[in-house]
Amino acid sequence: MDISLSANNIVKHYGGVVALSDGNLDVNSGEVVALIGANGSGKSTMSKVINGVVVLDRGQLLLDGSPVLFSSPQAAKDLGIATVFQELSLIPQMTVADNIWLTREPTNKLLLVNQKEVKQKTEELLALFEGTYKSDLRPDLPVAALPSDEKQIIEILKAICFDPRLIILDEATASLDSRQVQRLFQLIKRWKEQGKAIVFVSHRMEEIFQIADRYSVLRNGKTVGAGDIDDVDEKQLIKLMIKKESVFEFIHSYIKEEEKEFEAPICLDVNELRTELLEDVSFKVREGELLGIGGLQGQGQRELLRALFGDIPYSGEVIFNGNCIHFSHPRQAMKNGFALVPGERAREGLLYIRSILENLLLPSWRRYGLPLKINQSKRDAKKVTDSLNLVMAGVQEPVSSLSGGNAQKVVIGKWLMREPKVLLLDDPTKGVDVGTKGEFYTLLNKLCDEGKTILFYSSDDDELIGLCDRVLVFHDGKIRTELKGDVLTKENLVAASLGVTNGNNGEGAR
Amino acid sequence: MKKISWSILTARFPALFPLILLIIIIIINAGLQPNLFSQEILNQNMRVFLPLILLAVGQTFVMLGGGIDISVGGIVSIINTILATQVGLDGSPEKMWLFVFVSIIAGLLAGAVNGFFVAFLRLQPIITTYATGFLFGGLALFILPNPGGGIPREISEFYRNTTPLGIPLAFYVIAIILIIWWYLSSSKYGRNLFAVGGNAEAAYQTAVPVTWVLFSTYVISGLLAAFAGIAITMLSGSGNAEIGPPMTLTAITAVVIGGVALSGGVGGVAGPVMGAITLGLINNIVSFASINTWWETLVKATIIVIALATPGLINLFRRRRI
Repeated sequence: MDISLSANNIVKHYGGVVALSDGNLDVNSGEVVALIGANGSGKSTMSKVINGVVVLDRGQLLLDGSPVLFSSPQAAKDLGIATVFQELSLIPQMTVADNIWLTREPTNKLLLVNQKEVKQKTEELLALFEGTYKSDLRPDLPVAALPSDEKQIIEILKAICFDPRLIILDEATASLDSRQVQRLFQLIKRWKEQGKAIVFVSHRMEEIFQIADRYSVLRNGKTVGAGDIDDVDEKQLIKLMIKKESVFEFIHSYIKEEEKEFEAPICLDVNELRTELLEDVSFKVREGELLGIGGLQGQGQRELLRALFGDIPYSGEVIFNGNCIHFSHPRQAMKNGFALVPGERAREGLLYIRSILENLLLPSWRRYGLPLKINQSKRDAKKVTDSLNLVMAGVQEPVSSLSGGNAQKVVIGKWLMREPKVLLLDDPTKGVDVGTKGEFYTLLNKLCDEGKTILFYSSDDDELIGLCDRVLVFHDGKIRTELKGDVLTKENLVAASLGVTNGNNGEGAR
Repeated sequence: MKKISWSILTARFPALFPLILLIIIIIINAGLQPNLFSQEILNQNMRVFLPLILLAVGQTFVMLGGGIDISVGGIVSIINTILATQVGLDGSPEKMWLFVFVSIIAGLLAGAVNGFFVAFLRLQPIITTYATGFLFGGLALFILPNPGGGIPREISEFYRNTTPLGIPLAFYVIAIILIIWWYLSSSKYGRNLFAVGGNAEAAYQTAVPVTWVLFSTYVISGLLAAFAGIAITMLSGSGNAEIGPPMTLTAITAVVIGGVALSGGVGGVAGPVMGAITLGLINNIVSFASINTWWETLVKATIIVIALATPGLINLFRRRRI
């Protein structure tokens, strides 16, 4: 069972882009090493070198003291290295059980897959997360039908199904709620005791301090620091990651908000909104307000935003600036100044292979078309990229050349080009590094000051508490409670998310 | 609730829609041709359908893996011309069997060429097989520029009139195919095939040998195209380099009607088999409904378009109803 892996001076280029210039990592049996770094610092590449998905250009990989070269994921897997991929490696059309056991199916003498054994073993694995997922998760459900947190759980189970010696968890907690994260941490502790080695890649500082024994920090493809987690604090780590401090402080503008409460007119008044998943959702938002939406994953938050954007049908009354509206297509929502910023930027927000400029102009072509005002459009795009502080080689570069955080800025930028009145944000900071998050928070506050109304759904509780004055907590398609002012604390938010009612958050409800 | 049951049904039994379609077509056909189920007519029909069925089954493997093979018609032509020129009308049965063996090797080789280009060189399957299809078709024309040649009469007779236990030969072939498919789809190979077609990138990360799986689908397609070529030669008893290419699109249509997603990863072999029979019966219907020959193609195409569009229409109405 014992394992020790050390990666020394790893170099990896993708075409002309240097992903890793000097990556180092040591991990041994019975320990959790946190691999930390801002987006685009080479964390994912590092894990892909270790698990054989990419072949390193230079450097050395030592497994149990002897050098190895993985030419394919198969080679690494055979030596007991498992990976929970950030982008998930699940086949949507296949069932939960088939996905978990893919390439490791138990077979009988005729080389047929032993269905009974697969089902039974899958159920045993699912039991590890028993009670933390909402729907009844059966081994024979197709993965496409599952919400993202359950997919993430399946991805984790898939990695551990063959009892690996080394587990790489690449952002495995990004779409899990706090209950699921805690369960995962219990499991990690158990694996540690069994002598497994764990590489934990994450953005969430709090989790790193909770679970890791050691850390290794990457910055721009170089390992810039490593050591025992007990010897450092959050600020020091962040300093290592981005070389500048105090970006993670939330800018809170309480007093201003309170003034607004009196002055600002009600911008959006939602009454008894219903969809397939939502039940009687009612709330009011004032102009220039930043309203948080929280709760566990998949409780209907996304549906609410998509319904308001005209993406899915709903019933109920929505009053926007005094007019009753009912969008049946995003086009109408856009005309009325609505914008939806999805967190799944790769799938819903961007044309990855097209240029930054094209992506920015996508919702606004009408303004620049016939006759084509390309220079005007470039000037406007420049304004937006400047205000967003977008780090890029040029607007003609493809979006795929950007890091996650900068790509997300493009998604927001493309809507800012249209000067929206209402911004619907669907977990926009998912997988975004700390530095960019800080800039992002400043941007949100600035937008609110400009009088834009923002509905902000986030799976990160700290973010909601730090940024919003009011948070609607969703549970099972309903607004469980509304937290504001003094009752807006992490304890209350977590309690309400889990569906626990404790006396003091009741008063927040409207 | 109802919508869930429909989507789960179609996901779990991809052959459900082709089965319904087949039953409808059989009913219409039986109305026009009451003796459809007589042993003789059944055998007459099935021996004509068999080459297309074989071609569709091969195509199914490729499409499940997320590719497409439009060179199969060319392979059929090659096999047909090889047999017709090398065996000859007065050839001995031994010679015939020898060249059946040669044909199978030729089919495997042709499939391996496609597989090499698509899986190892990572070329676009549609363009690659379009090009190799021309290559194979050209080769067939080189072997036999003008229609002619043939195979011994007794071999044709054997193919046309063998009905063990009164059941046409084609049904035994279909049974064997279904058993092999059942075996493959319940083995690791089947899981790997569905994984590659579903999401090749994810499959690669999960250590599925993606390249080899893709390669194998084209080799299987080449093999079945060879069988189809052998069957059609036995059926016609003669050689014609132009015989294969028109079958390519019909076979792909059969696979699509059979519930295999063009994007890959969804479906099975039973559906395309039924799809191929359905297309054959549509031919029957058109000729029995005494439709003017000039209209035949239009009527046939219309039926096919409706059959292809129906699952999409069902989904559209389901969405509307919510």
